[in-house]
Amino acid sequence: MNSTPHQPSAPDADARFGEDTLRLIARLPAPPGLEDRVHAALRSASNRSLQRQDFVDGARPQGRVLAWPKPISRKSDWMRAAAAAVIVFVVAGGGWGVYTHVQHGLPTKVIAMPRVFQPGGFSGAGAMRTPQTLPGPTVNLPAKPLPAAPKAAKKPATRPAPARAQSAQTVSATTHTAEPAEPAAAK
Amino acid sequence: MEIPESAVNEESRRRAEDAALAALVDQYAGTLYRVAFSVLRNAADAEDAVQEAFLRVLRHRDTLSEVRNHRIWLIRIVWNIVLDRKRRAKTRPETDDVDELARVLPSAGLSAEELAAARQHHCHVLACVDRLPAKERQVLLLSAFEELSSVEIASVLDITESSVRSRLFRARNLMANLLDHERSLR
Repeated sequence: MNSTPHQPSAPDADARFGEDTLRLIARLPAPPGLEDRVHAALRSASNRSLQRQDFVDGARPQGRVLAWPKPISRKSDWMRAAAAAVIVFVVAGGGWGVYTHVQHGLPTKVIAMPRVFQPGGFSGAGAMRTPQTLPGPTVNLPAKPLPAAPKAAKKPATRPAPARAQSAQTVSATTHTAEPAEPAAAK
Repeated sequence: MEIPESAVNEESRRRAEDAALAALVDQYAGTLYRVAFSVLRNAADAEDAVQEAFLRVLRHRDTLSEVRNHRIWLIRIVWNIVLDRKRRAKTRPETDDVDELARVLPSAGLSAEELAAARQHHCHVLACVDRLPAKERQVLLLSAFEELSSVEIASVLDITESSVRSRLFRARNLMANLLDHERSLR
């Protein structure tokens, strides 16, 4: 009889530790075309960095909206300076022209309108506006205990008359006052 | 027009670096993808991580010649990227991971029941892996790659080889306990 204890085989042990799943994941193939996509990403990133480098170096970056014409842009720093000087001259000249055309020191033509008091209009009646002042600090004194009010003597509860009887009385009162007038008028 | 010699040298050096980088992509993109996928468990995210890793290499391509082991260096770069991404993308539900995994795992020759059982098993295993402490989990994930020795895992994680072994031992024990616990609950 074999008395050796049960030794789990390697696959069993793997399954026990769950490493079979991890190995399965670790052996998964890469998706097709991964290398090409990485190459493309690297190429575009490299082009972008080259463009940035060119811009830093002073060369004209591709895709620029405004650029110097080719004959000027090559080797003509003096031409750029001249163009800048012309722009400054035009702007300053324009400003000077505007300044000289404006006449300074003339009195302003302001027509003072006479004050017209319309009859019947409202007037301030000499009222003066007084600004609102902020309320000052108030001191809260401890409230004095009020003397106990004398208790009102209890009135005996009176039962109100029934509403029907009350209305009957009022009706009879009106008829009694109106009835004597009619015979008099008839007479 | 005369081209200065320094410009020629610069151009040739740049071309040589580009060629070296292209060779690295062809050689290691698949490995990096698998490493990234083992952590992120999402194909698109893993591919993004690979691209980001190579873009970092492009930015530091001047130092390519100084690197002794390109494979470990690249795995280390992508490993840091995916750990960072995993930390930031904790809001994604685990069910997405499992669905993605079920989509990519081989299912040929399996019946629908077997497929469902396998999927459930993978789901439990991955849930247990996620519950491990970070250090143990990282060693366990990297140890699943047969192409990585313990020395290489140590250099990727920047720890000693003995630390890798002890962490792996602890991780396996914890995994066994967690899986047993899961099994007893079912």
